Amino acid sequence: MTQQTNKLKLSAILARHETVLLLVILLEIFIFQSSGRNFLASSNVSNIFRHSVEIGLLALVMTPVILTGGIDLSVGSMMGLCAVVFGILVKQYEMSPWLAAMLAISLGALGGMGNAFLITKMNLPPLIVTLGTFSLFRGLAEALTKGSEAYSGFPAGFLTIGNGNFLGLPVQLWIFFAVAILMWLLVHQTTWGRSLRAIGYASEGARYAGISVRFNTGMAYVIAGAIAGLAAVILVARLGEARANVGIGYELLAITAVVLGGTSIFGGAGSISGTLLGYIAVAILNNGLSRITAHQIFDQPIASVSRELSGILTGLLLLVALAAGVILKSLALRRARRQSLNVKPTTT
Amino acid sequence: MKKYSREWIVAAALGLLLLSLAIAAPHFFQLQPLLSRVTSQMPAMIVALGIAMVIISRQIDISLGAQFSMCAVIAGLVAAQGLPLGVAIAAALGAGALMGALNGLLVAYLGLPSIVVTLATMVTWQEALRLWQQGRLLNLPEGIQWFGMSQAQGQATVIGITFILLIALAWGMKNIGAGRAIYAVGSDAEAARLAGINPKRTTFGVFVTMGLLAAVAAVMNLVQSPQIQPSCGDGLELKAIAAAVVGGIAIRGGRGTLWGVLPGLFLLANVNPALTHFHQPPYWEKAIQGLVIILAVVADGWNQKKQSKG
Repeated sequence: MTQQTNKLKLSAILARHETVLLLVILLEIFIFQSSGRNFLASSNVSNIFRHSVEIGLLALVMTPVILTGGIDLSVGSMMGLCAVVFGILVKQYEMSPWLAAMLAISLGALGGMGNAFLITKMNLPPLIVTLGTFSLFRGLAEALTKGSEAYSGFPAGFLTIGNGNFLGLPVQLWIFFAVAILMWLLVHQTTWGRSLRAIGYASEGARYAGISVRFNTGMAYVIAGAIAGLAAVILVARLGEARANVGIGYELLAITAVVLGGTSIFGGAGSISGTLLGYIAVAILNNGLSRITAHQIFDQPIASVSRELSGILTGLLLLVALAAGVILKSLALRRARRQSLNVKPTTT
Repeated sequence: MKKYSREWIVAAALGLLLLSLAIAAPHFFQLQPLLSRVTSQMPAMIVALGIAMVIISRQIDISLGAQFSMCAVIAGLVAAQGLPLGVAIAAALGAGALMGALNGLLVAYLGLPSIVVTLATMVTWQEALRLWQQGRLLNLPEGIQWFGMSQAQGQATVIGITFILLIALAWGMKNIGAGRAIYAVGSDAEAARLAGINPKRTTFGVFVTMGLLAAVAAVMNLVQSPQIQPSCGDGLELKAIAAAVVGGIAIRGGRGTLWGVLPGLFLLANVNPALTHFHQPPYWEKAIQGLVIILAVVADGWNQKKQSKG
């Protein structure tokens, strides 16, 4: 009997999302390390995060949006628009990059407010609204740059955000830590965070419980927009260039990280710590693949294999994570039902 | 009459746009270039019919552009082997049905949200194609272009097939059990189930149909040029969704007619030519597309609100 409960406990720990994710991350590290390319060298570890911090930021703010049962497909395009506007403000209007960064973040918040207005006030489905703004924001960025213009030559002081170190860690990682702590506090320690779960679980019920569904849901989109603006500024500082195609496909990576981290795509359940682990798994996968040179997979060297491979694997990973979540849940439900059926005759 | 008012508004807007073009830029209506422009829109028309059915069933499929590219490349590769066009078409249809079935399986039978499923399959197919073809242009053998006929005959065939599909699907959606089941599932899946419809099978069928239509569209695109690009379907999903939504397909499912897709698509398709004919830069296309999607759903939401109040 005790053996059985022990076993149950072990399976309960194993079934926890965070545990599975940690195992996945360790497996990834093991595979990439054993491919013998100094994967765990400290320079590479800080590289992993320097090159993916934007995805982490988007994943952090995508979490509250998905908690409400919504989705924001426009964050990647928002990065493109904010990057272009930032570039124009600095290069054409000779504004200080710090002021321009503030304005870019405000623009992101404004765009998020647009999403929030259409979704909560007009009562439209988040999916189609953000699909529309996905196209609109990227289209505005392309129109502003006439399709091809790029802005570069930013002051060196500004570029340290993207390329400098502070206390041995990339500068943008400190910004990421600050945002992560802020989001953890907001999602897990405030009534706002709790109300998001209530809205995602049953928005009508939340309304009857006196929660302002519109305001609380809307805030999630505004924050997502603002942080997309911040991510755009950091990315421009790292690349040293602002162009319209910045951040294409980042929404997928962010959503993958959130779903991998155990946040239910239907809303109502999830955590920032899970998202952080999901982000690390996605970031390591992307970096590890980019270090495998092409001739290890094919005989002839092909330049851009890694990017496509990681794209394929990210897509598959998302599908597997989603399917696994649903299948595990239905298995657990079935087991619970069987147990309650078994228990019934003994109790009566 | 009231039921179809949305389609007529869109058709009127299209008529107005064409009229202003006729006055400002009469050379827009020269027969041969006009016919070419219409023909080049037919593949988009076919996938727009597919996405309209998907949206009516209250789902979405943003992987249709990637499916389109994949089918085009597969058909092109088969044709380049020297095999007859029929085999190439069959290969494309098979690939389209398989990709649609994967989406359908995950959405209908695992109950996953279609937006995330098709976002993931979109990226998977897109990147797989890029890895496989490395962006190479694919040269097609002689005898593929315009099905081996003259250009005028080929264009007539492409337009004819598209309109046969439009008429058949629009009629079938209203008059055949399977079509009406799509409306029923889209307006209330639980009620449809109680009425004896199998919502899972219906949803699965809609995604497979979407895949097949993407394949047909890819073939209709293939025959129009001597070469194809592996990225030929990029962004097609937005165009198709915009056409369907503008054409009055309700984004919450269950309402709209496939006829609306026709004026919806041509209204959008004329934005860019109109921009160039009125000497405006063409960079605004994507922004206008996004704005049009948003305006269409806002109008839709407004209508619904008015109906529920009065």
